[in-house]
Amino acid sequence: MKRAMVLAFVLVVACGATAAALAKPSAKTHFTATQALNCKSTMKIAFVTPLTGAAGFLGNEQLSWAKYAVKTLPAKFALKIQLVSGDTPVEAGPAPAQALAQKYVADKKVIAILGPSTSGAVAASSQAYFDAGLAHVSPSATRTSLTKSVDGKPKEATPGFFRVVPDDAIQGPTDARFMIDKLHAKKVVVFDFQEPYSLGIAGQVEAFLKSKGVSTIHLSVANTVTDFSSFVTKVPSDADFVFFPTQTPPAAQTFAQQLVEQGKKAKVFGSDGSNNPAQFHFAGSYVSNFAAPVSLFPYNKAIIAGWSKDNGGAQPGSFGPPTYGAVQVLLTAIQKACAQGHGKVERRAVIRAVKHVRIKNWILGGEFRFSTKTNDPFNGRFYIFQIQSNGSYKLVQ
Amino acid sequence: MDKFIQLTLNGLTEGSTYALIALGYSLVYGILKLLNFAHGDVFMVGSFIGFGALHALGGSADPVVPVWLLLVLITLAGMAGCAALGVAIERFAYRPLRDAPRIAPLISALGVSFFLTYSMQLMFGAQQRDYGTFALSNGSLYLKGFNIGDVRVPILRIITISSAFALMVVLWFLVNKTRTGKAMRATSFDREAAAMMGIDIDRVIAFTFVLGSALAGAAGVLFALRVPTTATIGFLAGLKGFTAAVIGGIGSVPGAMAGGLILGFAEAYAQGYWDTRWSDLAVFSLLVVFMLVRPQGLFGRADIRKV
Repeated sequence: MKRAMVLAFVLVVACGATAAALAKPSAKTHFTATQALNCKSTMKIAFVTPLTGAAGFLGNEQLSWAKYAVKTLPAKFALKIQLVSGDTPVEAGPAPAQALAQKYVADKKVIAILGPSTSGAVAASSQAYFDAGLAHVSPSATRTSLTKSVDGKPKEATPGFFRVVPDDAIQGPTDARFMIDKLHAKKVVVFDFQEPYSLGIAGQVEAFLKSKGVSTIHLSVANTVTDFSSFVTKVPSDADFVFFPTQTPPAAQTFAQQLVEQGKKAKVFGSDGSNNPAQFHFAGSYVSNFAAPVSLFPYNKAIIAGWSKDNGGAQPGSFGPPTYGAVQVLLTAIQKACAQGHGKVERRAVIRAVKHVRIKNWILGGEFRFSTKTNDPFNGRFYIFQIQSNGSYKLVQ
Repeated sequence: MDKFIQLTLNGLTEGSTYALIALGYSLVYGILKLLNFAHGDVFMVGSFIGFGALHALGGSADPVVPVWLLLVLITLAGMAGCAALGVAIERFAYRPLRDAPRIAPLISALGVSFFLTYSMQLMFGAQQRDYGTFALSNGSLYLKGFNIGDVRVPILRIITISSAFALMVVLWFLVNKTRTGKAMRATSFDREAAAMMGIDIDRVIAFTFVLGSALAGAAGVLFALRVPTTATIGFLAGLKGFTAAVIGGIGSVPGAMAGGLILGFAEAYAQGYWDTRWSDLAVFSLLVVFMLVRPQGLFGRADIRKV
């Protein structure tokens, strides 16, 4: 009797395990293509960004703008939107992005993704989002290989990925050309921080500089390093610039200080990741960014005032406004898809609609639309700033 | 030659920070035979306390006291705050587990470490905090000093290195020349015998944590004067401090000092002469080498077991 019960138990467990294995959800669509949402219902936009870790400052700035956009814009599009957010600290690698992708794919009310903000997170999760029909529009992922084939390798992101900022293939040559043409650089030290963002752009800059006959030295530093004293010793005393594509502005500030401490004449040239006047303000340094100051455009006055009021009088940085723009793109696309779906919207319809979005009085200046060839902005450009003696950023190109 | 001098200076600066952290590990291990893995995060908290004190005193752009006094006050604030934190950690996370199997307080230490990291991140955010030391006295802490050959030794490094060494000397004096230090050494040698001799063990242990944590707090402030701090710096710094303590001989005060300096030099030379990607590899390889060749460390004593 006892033996029979044991055997029966083992059989039940085995059957259960087999059933669970067979019932394992496929990596493909869990949310069927025919499942549409009512456009009058509250839909969710999920924002995937680093809220903690070294790049947390970027994510938190973007989140404040995303919240403001979701607070003020949906009514203009006759939509009800709830913003949810997920954290992808850069130090944690791709795992958080993949986990969040599964979470948001499974949430039937999520109609689109804002982000991911970082290139690594996009590469890790784009396939999952695309398989589920979710459009994902990033306000800051600039790695070129996400939307373009580099060195014959396939693109890292899917057709569901869009970005509202230009990619590093524009930033790298823009920065390098400026160093050569305007700053007459003859010798440049190029750093990378052993992670995808800096590796991409450092490669772009180095390649361009070398093609124009500029002497370059490439140094690689772990992105956990905060004291660069010993790396500064490797900067030749006759180097003109150090291209420093960090994602943490205080690192650029520290490096600039340590260059001076050790009597080096080279100036720091930071990429968009170091763009933060409050934290990187070493006079004489340069910084590039994908956005000009939004205060340059008079039609942004009310937006800036409203966001500032909601955020304790803060001044806009450079990572936040593109996020507002990305929300605007998503809402425009959802509205279009709703119109086409006669009051119902499917996720894949949003992807199709995003591609055709056009926005006048774009928060970053001019008119916005996507390129016909890629999912990048049409005619995107990078801007270069010189840090003044009072720490402010002056637009020089 | 200039590069060697600069790297030696870098190594001395970093090494003195590691030595201060390692001292905390050694002091606690000597008394309790506990590896206090939360110690690196006490160092991190010290840097934040220093940041808060700096801004309470007007910030680097417009301090309300002279610069030298500002530096003293923020260091003392970091030390005092961390000393209190150390006592609290000992009281609530380690004392209840004093008679438990050795792994229990070790796990508790790891838990405290994560608790401190993520509490600080939750309370103060993820962004890095810069003391803005360059703005103090218009950059003179970086630009003035003395020269060795063509290498400038700036005032900031002089302050960092001399402060660290001064604290080590004070510690040595406390441990070797005072009654409390004698009690600490007695407890370290044989806790039960010390108790039987009338030494208040709880007080001695608490004082040990005060000392170790105060040194970590000082290290945090001295570190953050030169580089930005963030809630996540404690883990790697603590690991390197632990490595320094092991190299020097865990439980040995002079060993911790020597181990810290050795580690600082190894890191600086590896970064300067070798490939920059492999400096951490070099540092932790030292740990492996010492464990294989001289597990008791430079100044430690090999354990003798009676059979």
